[in-house]
Amino acid sequence: MNSRLTQHLNILDYALSSLWRRRAKNLSILIVFSWVIFLVASFQLVTQALTETATSVLRSTPEITVQKMSAGRQIEIPIDFSRKLAAIFGIQEIVPRVWGYYFDEVTGANYTVMGIAPGRMPLLDRLNLSLEEGGRYDQGSRGKVVIGRSIRRIMEEKGSTLLSLFRPDLSQTSFEVTGVFKPEVDILTNDLIVMNIDDARDLFAIPSSMATDLCVYVANPSEVATIARKISEALPGTRVLTRSQINRTYQVVFGWRSGFASVCLLTALTAFVILAWDKASGLSPEEKREISILKILGWETADVLAVRFWEGILVSGIAFIVGCTLAYAHVVFFNASLFKPVLIGWSVIYPEFRLVPSFRLDQFLLVFSLSVLPYLAATVIPAWRSASVPADSALSGM
Amino acid sequence: MLIELTRVTKIYNQGQVNEVTALKGIDLTIDDNSMTCLRGASGSGKSTLLSIIGCVFQPTSGRVTVAGKQLSRLPDRFLTLHRRKYIGFIFQTFNILPALTVQDNITLPLIPLGIAPAEMHRKAALLMERFAISHRRNFPASQISGGELQRVAIARALINDPPLILADEPTAHLDSRLSEEFMHFMKDLKSAGKTIIITSHDPLVTEHADVDRVIDIKDGRIDVA
Amino acid sequence: MLLSSWSIALLLCGLIVLFLMGLAARSAIRVLLYWDPASDSNRQIRLENEIWLTSTLVEYALGIQIISLIVFVLAADFFSQSIAGAMCATGSLLADSYGVPALVVKIVGVFFYGFWIVLHQLDIHSEKYPLVRKKYLYLLLLIPLLILDLTLEILYITGLKPDIITSCCAVVFGDTTGGGTNLIGGFSHGLSMGLFYGTAGGLLCIGLFLLKRWQRWACVLFSSGWLWFFLLSLTVVTSEFSSYIYAMPFHKCPFCILKPEYHYIGFVLYFALFLGAFFGMSGALVEPLRSVDDLESGVTGYQASAVKSSLFFLTVFVLVSSYHYWRYILIGGEG
Repeated sequence: MNSRLTQHLNILDYALSSLWRRRAKNLSILIVFSWVIFLVASFQLVTQALTETATSVLRSTPEITVQKMSAGRQIEIPIDFSRKLAAIFGIQEIVPRVWGYYFDEVTGANYTVMGIAPGRMPLLDRLNLSLEEGGRYDQGSRGKVVIGRSIRRIMEEKGSTLLSLFRPDLSQTSFEVTGVFKPEVDILTNDLIVMNIDDARDLFAIPSSMATDLCVYVANPSEVATIARKISEALPGTRVLTRSQINRTYQVVFGWRSGFASVCLLTALTAFVILAWDKASGLSPEEKREISILKILGWETADVLAVRFWEGILVSGIAFIVGCTLAYAHVVFFNASLFKPVLIGWSVIYPEFRLVPSFRLDQFLLVFSLSVLPYLAATVIPAWRSASVPADSALSGM
Repeated sequence: MLIELTRVTKIYNQGQVNEVTALKGIDLTIDDNSMTCLRGASGSGKSTLLSIIGCVFQPTSGRVTVAGKQLSRLPDRFLTLHRRKYIGFIFQTFNILPALTVQDNITLPLIPLGIAPAEMHRKAALLMERFAISHRRNFPASQISGGELQRVAIARALINDPPLILADEPTAHLDSRLSEEFMHFMKDLKSAGKTIIITSHDPLVTEHADVDRVIDIKDGRIDVA
Repeated sequence: MLLSSWSIALLLCGLIVLFLMGLAARSAIRVLLYWDPASDSNRQIRLENEIWLTSTLVEYALGIQIISLIVFVLAADFFSQSIAGAMCATGSLLADSYGVPALVVKIVGVFFYGFWIVLHQLDIHSEKYPLVRKKYLYLLLLIPLLILDLTLEILYITGLKPDIITSCCAVVFGDTTGGGTNLIGGFSHGLSMGLFYGTAGGLLCIGLFLLKRWQRWACVLFSSGWLWFFLLSLTVVTSEFSSYIYAMPFHKCPFCILKPEYHYIGFVLYFALFLGAFFGMSGALVEPLRSVDDLESGVTGYQASAVKSSLFFLTVFVLVSSYHYWRYILIGGEG
């Protein structure tokens, strides 16, 4: 075998036994370090899951949404308006949409009802992908709905197979459930009922010439701003929302929250780094003696540094694995309960959603560079100090 | 291993208030395959001399040549590389790491050399056999007797098979029986072709029949009187 | 975007590297002022000890710099989620004018730090430490590069706004007609493939020749060949190989191959390319040191192993990068 490799394996072996000999001291570092990594990794997993969801929300929203305003409130918009926009160059498609909230008096729950025009909305392609196995959304056929998981739960409790809803005049209408959304998209779909736009009009008693808003799809993203301006000029009295405006609002709210939490975590990290530095620089007389013995026996400064390096790698490696594993369990099985206060905005809106983070390599690397690298950097100076204990202090009678 | 020192001086903390001149122009030649004793009171400079021969540090001035190689003026790193190849140390306090097992203590000098564990253990087993400590192989060094400790220290000094053995006051903490035993081992090493240098003021060592030469050190000089 | 975890990680890496290199620079100044190999004074002993400190610091800094290079690309990929028009790192790197310069400076930095370590290893092989002053002077020169790196990074991150509209890889690197922004459409397919395999073959031949007989001209040719091959490979990977990896003719991007969807093949590919280029180029850079007192054997030893390593990584790189291409040519598309 290559002798440099053997040398490093020997030194690694020595580092392991050296860690084990000082297990009391190292265990405390390990516990604190694992805790810090646990916090950073849980936070990262939660934000990752939320960002992914939020991004997919944005991806499925149209580039421009047009709403009619009256006295500062949103009211129904005539579908005719879309004809006035047809002349604007660059618009790919204008699709009316009906949506609203439905209060179920029996269970006291609020549902979101979304009525979409069959076959015309790009969103539909994605819809079938986010349904649980076996579910299918029939475009265009009336009387069929796909629902979120919490609505299915309510139906199961009632033991009914048809979803019965009441029109404003209290007459009943029933829908056949053809699909249920996957848990991964719970945050979006937990309380969602998707149906044909005409069914939605029927349910909310909206005249067939009206819609809640108009979704405008634009082919070229660089033209969105111009087209939005033209729309608001063509249709006075409407509110024109672009996706990037929604995005920006989201960024401000979400960025503030995650930034605030990051700063808190950085404080924890700093405290830990100071602790690590302190622990590593406190060189006991025994350790000093050990190093001077090693050096007089022919160990180079570089060899002792290698021992310290491997000790650091071992401690941070173990802490990293422990911390990340606990964080995954925390987020997936305990719903990130420690971060509830930070996520309060979401947990109020969606009281019960499951976070399903995808732990990818880049997430590992991010957590690694936020935790292990500062630790290694904090221990390098103390490691060198200990490695530069002179050999002659092992001799007597100087 | 022929060792030549020419006008070697050592000044600690040169240019500072606590400046100490430990060696004042030592000229010395030590023959190959000999046993030499450096005798002197504590503070006479004999340990400093031993450390310079042992490549622990550099002299302030003068030349040190070992087996034809100039060692003075070498950076610390190369002194270490030389030391781990050619020199075995035995210390007054043995300098054994109490938490490690006997075997691990003996193999310590081999770890940075990149020798495979199996080979290290084979070498250590031979030496433990020779010094009758095989039965203690997996005992922590803190749990063995003084005599065994001394043999562990000798075994560790020999694990690299160095041509030069340096012993710093080796019998200071030993009773006369163990001191005798120690000198017996040294005699064997000398007949195996090693060069041995011992610092001591113990008559048991200095007047031992196998010591070829006793050099008196006084106030940093060789006392020829 | 200053408050995203990725930005914080990047800035943290940058600050750590700056901190480590700052400490190393402090030692460097002391060494340049007081180094005196003839002395055994306490100060000289301390300086000799500090050599170990600086080398460890630079090694750590290099390691962190490499990680931060990866984090930088992944961060750009992450930012693309909230930038209009950006689908991957290409889009967000082009979203403001500091993205690409920051990336280039980072890559250059990795090569420079690596070369310091080569100098250091050569130096400590000699009992005279003949390069001590040179290598510490060089280390001090790295500090401005590092500050530039960090500055560009901060400018890039703070300049990113979610409402920026940018173009992504399909527009930038695609060879579809219409877009005037096509960066690398100049080469024809046959020409670039010919150049790629031709240069790789040439490098292999020169390398094998060098291992048999060392000639200065061949060494210089080998190293400059590597520089050319490095730049050529970056374009060829982007314009030719990547679309075979994605199995989409119009998807040409140097960054998406780093994603898990493509089994992280990009990491293997770029690591092999960077390491090969580093070893290949550093071979000639140390050639002038051959004449320096006592370094001949060290330089010869390094050059031999550098040429061997660069040939090894060249082979790995060529095999990994052309795998999908040749599979497509020989077997055809999916299946």
